[in-house]
Amino acid sequence: MTFDAVQRAAFAALADVLVPAAEGMPAASEVDIAGAGLDRVLRARPDLEAPLARVLAMRTVGDAMEQVRGAQRDDPVGFEALALAATAGYYTDGRVRELIGYPGQTYDASRVREPDIDASDPMLRRVAARGPIYRPTPSAGTRAAAGSRAG
Amino acid sequence: MVGSNGRGGPDEVADVVIVGAGASGSVAALRLARAGFAVTCLEQGDYVDPSQFPGDKLEFELLAPKTWHPNPNVRGLADDYPCETSESDVNPLMWSGVGGSTVLWAAHWVRMLPSDFRVRSLDGVADDWPFTYEELLPFYQEVEKEFAVSGLGGDPAYPDGAEMPLPPLPIGKVGRKGAEGLDKLGWHWWPGPNAIASRAFGNLHACGLRGTCLTGCPDKAKASTDLTHWPAALDAGARLVTGARVREITVNGDGLATGVIYVDRTGREHRQAAQVVIVCANGVGTPRLLLLSKSSRFADGLANSSGLVGKRLMMHPYAAVVGFYDEPLESWLGPAGQIIHSLQFYETDESRGFVRGAKWQIMPTGGPLGLRSGYGGAPLEDRFGPALHRNLREQLGRGFEWGLIAEDLPEESNYVTLDTTLSDTDGVPAPKIVYRNSDNTRAMLDFHLARAHEAHAVSGAHKTVETKLMRDCGWHLMGTCLMGNDPATSVVDQWGRAHDVPNLYIYDGSVFPTSAGANPTATIAAVALRCVKHLIETRQNQEVPA
Repeated sequence: MTFDAVQRAAFAALADVLVPAAEGMPAASEVDIAGAGLDRVLRARPDLEAPLARVLAMRTVGDAMEQVRGAQRDDPVGFEALALAATAGYYTDGRVRELIGYPGQTYDASRVREPDIDASDPMLRRVAARGPIYRPTPSAGTRAAAGSRAG
Repeated sequence: MVGSNGRGGPDEVADVVIVGAGASGSVAALRLARAGFAVTCLEQGDYVDPSQFPGDKLEFELLAPKTWHPNPNVRGLADDYPCETSESDVNPLMWSGVGGSTVLWAAHWVRMLPSDFRVRSLDGVADDWPFTYEELLPFYQEVEKEFAVSGLGGDPAYPDGAEMPLPPLPIGKVGRKGAEGLDKLGWHWWPGPNAIASRAFGNLHACGLRGTCLTGCPDKAKASTDLTHWPAALDAGARLVTGARVREITVNGDGLATGVIYVDRTGREHRQAAQVVIVCANGVGTPRLLLLSKSSRFADGLANSSGLVGKRLMMHPYAAVVGFYDEPLESWLGPAGQIIHSLQFYETDESRGFVRGAKWQIMPTGGPLGLRSGYGGAPLEDRFGPALHRNLREQLGRGFEWGLIAEDLPEESNYVTLDTTLSDTDGVPAPKIVYRNSDNTRAMLDFHLARAHEAHAVSGAHKTVETKLMRDCGWHLMGTCLMGNDPATSVVDQWGRAHDVPNLYIYDGSVFPTSAGANPTATIAAVALRCVKHLIETRQNQEVPA
């Protein structure tokens, strides 16, 4: 990736505004968001590189929070790239996934081995007992209009 | 035309050339090849190896909304054509490649209901279809075996209960939670039928509920016709040319189609001569191609003496209500896919202030990044900072969506035309979409959204979030080459044959007289099967160019 150490440090600071240490969760910078995290994101989404670089280059008076607010106000596309890079880098980290209890999208053939529902289910039996809910095909007489166009 | 397998190479006259290798083109190619026809199919995209799909990658949620986005304008791949959508409420969605949009579809397998074929007779609006549910039923049943449909029979929404060839997929915690609410309300629900294999079936493996159906199935469990139809079609002698963008259907002085002109990926132009042309390029691509195929004889576009080519576009406006619950529901699990569905408010009840209705289905809500997208446009403090962690803890794995597929009625003010400035990478004019929701549609969506909030509340949701109209929802492209009996008021007859060009056929969703409130692929495949069987049965009478 083309981001240098200065840009990566800036990214870590801005990512920590969006993903701070709070609610028992680590900050973005605590899970190497600007190293392996950013590399992972940009490998998957090279289209984020240019708008992210733009935000990192913004000159704003004030702290990282001010820079984030400035990006949101003045460069919404760049801001969304920053937000996606920060959160995607964060939520693809193994430690974070463990903390939030998300295993990722996984395949397990045993999940479908046996259906967990059949027609004997009490709720389904009540649906069936209420009877048909469709309108049948009208009789041939009514079907005289078949094929006709709406006016 | 009698069918003579073995011909139809690049320099030969094919018995049949098919434009598009998606659902309808695949069904047609397989039947024609097995019947001994020399069939060539031209597909603008390529094969996708399932190992390329992002669902089994760590970066899945990053890749899904760009590289694998269903909107070609977002993907921007060379195989795609762009669509001009500045005058549309909804973006058309599609995939260009072998399998067509079945590569990225959600695989909801929904037969239309009997009333859907008799809208004019029953509700006094739009049109009746040229055939009934009962006439189409055997074709539904035949293609359901090919598409490995999993489901539970006995559904009282259908006259015959809609038995499916494979047992249903699990409904899981999410489905049971949604069903509990509808059960208390006394509303219809049923395990959702899906073209996803619950058991190994043909070329498909058993589903493992990865839940990434909408970006292609890396597990080869979802029915896409690159897996379900093309291997058999190729074995039977069909010829499939990928990277072939058809830009014109050619005609002779007798007004018969003589083949097509296509551009390969190097930009080189080719001609494929054929005795019969079948267009299966979806409800946007098909009218685009007909409108591109102007000639002195067909100055307004091919098969367009009715003026209806491109008109009456229907795309199924989609709204949704996501509910969040206190208990963990593992709501990132598949299928995605419909877990359960409801047809409680599908039929017309004019006391509601509109005609026709909508199908509901529960779909999972995915992982942490998918949840974030629900906060677009919210203030910074509500999206990020400590709120990010709080929101995630409250919502990840604890929510599900009631999605609402609303029937939009055909209106000539909604249409596909050729854009005057935008073009694809080969310089071929792009389609322009003009599409607005009607008052009937808006009233329908409002009613259904209110009921979906109610359903979540009764199921115990502590919070609901509503999407009034999803802009990227135009999966279902229908109506733009109307099927009917009268050549003055329709484009093709009940067998898909163009009234104006007796050896030109259209088999895709373009021919739908109405859209129903249900996902169309089951009906697209069944109608294509009905049409192609008729073509094969009547081959001796088929008029072809000299």
